[in-house]
Amino acid sequence: MATLTAPTPRTALPGVLRHRATRKLVTLAALAAVLVPLAHTHWAGGTWPQALTVDLSGPLGGASDWIIDNRDSHPLFLYFFGHVSNAVVVSVRVVYLFLLAAGWAGVTALGAAVAWRVAGARLALGTAAALLVCGLLGMWVPTMQTLALMVVAVLASVAVGALLGLAAGLSDRMDRALRPVLDTMQVLPAFAYLLPVVLVFGIGVPAAVLATVIYAAPPMARLTALGLRGADKEVLEAVDSLGATARQRLLTARVPLARKELLLGVNQTIMMALSMAVIASVIGAGGLGDRVYQALASVDVGAALAAGIPIVLLAVVLDRVTGAAGERLGQDQHGPRPWLHAAAAAAATVVVALAARLAGRLDWPTGWTVGIAGPVNRAVDWMTAHLYSGVPYVGGTADWAGRFTTWVLDPVRSGLQWLPWWSVLLIVAALAWLIGTWRTALTAVLAMAAIGVLGVWKPSLDTLSQVLAAVAVTLVLGFAIGIAAARSDRVERLLRPVLDVFQTMPQFVYLIPVVALFGVGRAPAVAAAVVYALPAVVRITAQGLRQVDPAALESARSLGATSGQQLRQVQLPLARPALLLAVNQGVVLVLAVVIIGGLVGGGALGYDVVFGLAQGDLATGLVAGAAIVCLGLMLDRVTQPTRRRAKKGA
Amino acid sequence: MALAAPTRKPPNDDSTEAPVFAVDGLWKVFGPKAARVPEDPELSALSPAELRERAGCTAAVRDVSFDVRKGEVFVVMGLSGSGKSTLVRCLTRLIEPTAGTIAIDGEDVRAMDKARLRELRRHRAAMVFQHFGLLPHRTVLDNVAYGLQIQGIGKAERRERAAEVVAKVGLEGMEQRRPGQLSGGQRQRVGLARALAVDPEVLLFDEPFSALDPLIRRDMQEEVIRLHEEEGRTMVFITHDLQEALRLGDRIALMRDGRIVQLGTPEEIVGSPADDYVRDFVRDVPREQVMTVRRAMRPASAEDAGNGPAVPPEATVAEAIEAVARAGAPARVVDEGRCVGVVDSDALLGVVAGVAAPGDADPDAGAV
Repeated sequence: MATLTAPTPRTALPGVLRHRATRKLVTLAALAAVLVPLAHTHWAGGTWPQALTVDLSGPLGGASDWIIDNRDSHPLFLYFFGHVSNAVVVSVRVVYLFLLAAGWAGVTALGAAVAWRVAGARLALGTAAALLVCGLLGMWVPTMQTLALMVVAVLASVAVGALLGLAAGLSDRMDRALRPVLDTMQVLPAFAYLLPVVLVFGIGVPAAVLATVIYAAPPMARLTALGLRGADKEVLEAVDSLGATARQRLLTARVPLARKELLLGVNQTIMMALSMAVIASVIGAGGLGDRVYQALASVDVGAALAAGIPIVLLAVVLDRVTGAAGERLGQDQHGPRPWLHAAAAAAATVVVALAARLAGRLDWPTGWTVGIAGPVNRAVDWMTAHLYSGVPYVGGTADWAGRFTTWVLDPVRSGLQWLPWWSVLLIVAALAWLIGTWRTALTAVLAMAAIGVLGVWKPSLDTLSQVLAAVAVTLVLGFAIGIAAARSDRVERLLRPVLDVFQTMPQFVYLIPVVALFGVGRAPAVAAAVVYALPAVVRITAQGLRQVDPAALESARSLGATSGQQLRQVQLPLARPALLLAVNQGVVLVLAVVIIGGLVGGGALGYDVVFGLAQGDLATGLVAGAAIVCLGLMLDRVTQPTRRRAKKGA
Repeated sequence: MALAAPTRKPPNDDSTEAPVFAVDGLWKVFGPKAARVPEDPELSALSPAELRERAGCTAAVRDVSFDVRKGEVFVVMGLSGSGKSTLVRCLTRLIEPTAGTIAIDGEDVRAMDKARLRELRRHRAAMVFQHFGLLPHRTVLDNVAYGLQIQGIGKAERRERAAEVVAKVGLEGMEQRRPGQLSGGQRQRVGLARALAVDPEVLLFDEPFSALDPLIRRDMQEEVIRLHEEEGRTMVFITHDLQEALRLGDRIALMRDGRIVQLGTPEEIVGSPADDYVRDFVRDVPREQVMTVRRAMRPASAEDAGNGPAVPPEATVAEAIEAVARAGAPARVVDEGRCVGVVDSDALLGVVAGVAAPGDADPDAGAV
């Protein structure tokens, strides 16, 4: 950072920055002065020039048709994809049948036993309770469907991710090759993965599982590589000095030393897999996600909630159990014979399962369900009647949504679409270059130009307008709450459990409450995106502010700075890297949900993907998917601080 | 501060026996095309800064030669960046040397293939590290047994042998703890035990106590001295701490910028520094605790015989001062019943003050 070059950081920082910033801007202006008139004379007008687009729908439609025609005959499908697809179907089926055979009692006992062994008695109770609630809500079968798909997808993701991570951890060349790919995959919205998989496998369980694996494997790979690379050099040297072979070194030192990262990788993979398994209902995953999807399509909030609650419960339980397993690593409190407890747990599970089976109670008893759809829908109806509009002074939620659409979303969208296309590129370039390096700027501009070339300039700008509005709201709220949480321990204590739960919920679930509150349209999509991105932004902001060097803060206090001065002059400048990271994360997360918002009337690119899937018009969907990838790349690069700076800031 | 155990004798002082380690003309150069540096007389003569500028290389070890004798504690001492840690890693090729020869018991280490090298590391030389290098997920016992596990020894046997060593370094009752639950000193005892467990011919220490508090460091130094006295194992000890070097070393190699500037006993280093750098280095050493009366004595004349207290020739000057002060008369240096010389208060004061004393090995002083 600039502070390193300047002896008096606080006063010198803006000066240095301004200097560098002007230099970049002048260069860019010179470049623009040459290129813009040239572009303008050839292709005038606000929107992306028709002459510069490439219509891919023809070739893509052809490819899709070819695949559909040849799926049963071409050797590639017969001998490779066919086997993959069959293997997936068979394994999901086997797991599903096993879960059904174990019965609700057996599954609950199994879940509790596993949670008890890896995470302790409290979480075991929590797990059992969560599973029973799933049954009570009448969602036992969809829950088991989702669980079966998850088990297969997580196992595959962990295996694939661990292998890739192992390769990247042990070989520098592999690391260099994989890292940019994994980094990019990390920032792409889940929706972008759906179409290519569907193209190859068609709609159904195999496509859903593979999309989930593609989405969930990268964190495992990244963390495995990180763990293997982060091993204490001296420990490895000590292992060498004792004459270990390469295999001994890997198995007895490197892998065990990376256990924390490996478990964190499993945790993240499970959470990503759940998130994707729910979204993949759009391409035939079935289960809980499908229930939510169907209910949302008919704006049946009650039914959506009945399926959404099990999703949240699953997410929280899976996250807590795997997280607790990671925390317990350091302090082994197992008794002398851990296998004895494990055997007892296994035996208890078998006994419970057999008992339920003999009692003929394999399926969840129909009498034990509580239908919440009716009451919830009545509540929603009441809300529609009383809260949607005409509430004195504050107005109703629908009024808010409408006003937000008219006063914010519409002007931003028409403004963006009114801007000449080259000026959009110019703004992207300027922003990316100011925050990052010329490399990130170039990637961002190329990604943005690719959107134009693909011929989806207008819908992409529509999506972009929603993203910008959502990011603005998220950052204002997020920074305010983050600063409050950093300054007051009480606020932080109150926020922590809320943030914990919010951060574990799959993206899809956020659509349910916003539909209940705001109906359908672009405003609810933006609201869901804000709610989804807010926890991460709050958390990163608060952490960044709290990690500011206490000595710097103390010295400011000793000079008599007021708390406002401390915040403005010490904490915020020193937490700059964290704040930039918060912006970056906010943008990435917002984009993911804005795209999914296509399901609840968000329109634009997300809708194109859903439309493409629903109509079997894969060409439209694929083009929209590619545009989503480009938009994600562009937004990430524009907000990505230079790596060098990020490293020094860390 | 009291220094070395006063009347300690190098266990095997006859240099006729084959050395454990024989290092000759050893170079380690980091950087592009490192191998050309030792070969090229022009490059190898450059100073470190010039070499970095000319060739882009850093020479960590430059033309180092020494022998480590069986049973001795050989200390390599130097400030950070002097190349001492690189040197000790070259001995078992944890760092691959650029040029020169290393022999262990006459066998060329650099010519060893992978299997032979593993054999060397498993059975003949074990190392103790500055930051311990313990495996955090294993218990103390399993950490100590780790070297044996690498050798392929079964669980029961290696645990049994590890338990013995754990007791030897004073960690009884902590076998089931993890490294994270131990203090720094205890962790280094585990590191020491791990090295001892494989019963190596040589123990290599790489600044093992630098990360410890001064008091703990003293304890550990005493532990090493005790182990050495009990087992007589050959040790190569790297340190940047002069006090530690003088306390532990039978012989000390003082390194600077990758070269050995002086190699000798503590008494030689302190008594006759090879150059200004070494002189500067040892200036604040309490000389009376390192120098022996051999350095201060003058030949006995007829009237000295039979008078005054008797001290052995290995006695430190500090001990002689006490004897002389108590008796109020010069002390006789008696070796195996024969009076070999006399020390009086002037000569002893001369040693303390760093003024050349009569009978100094320095040839310029001249024999009386």
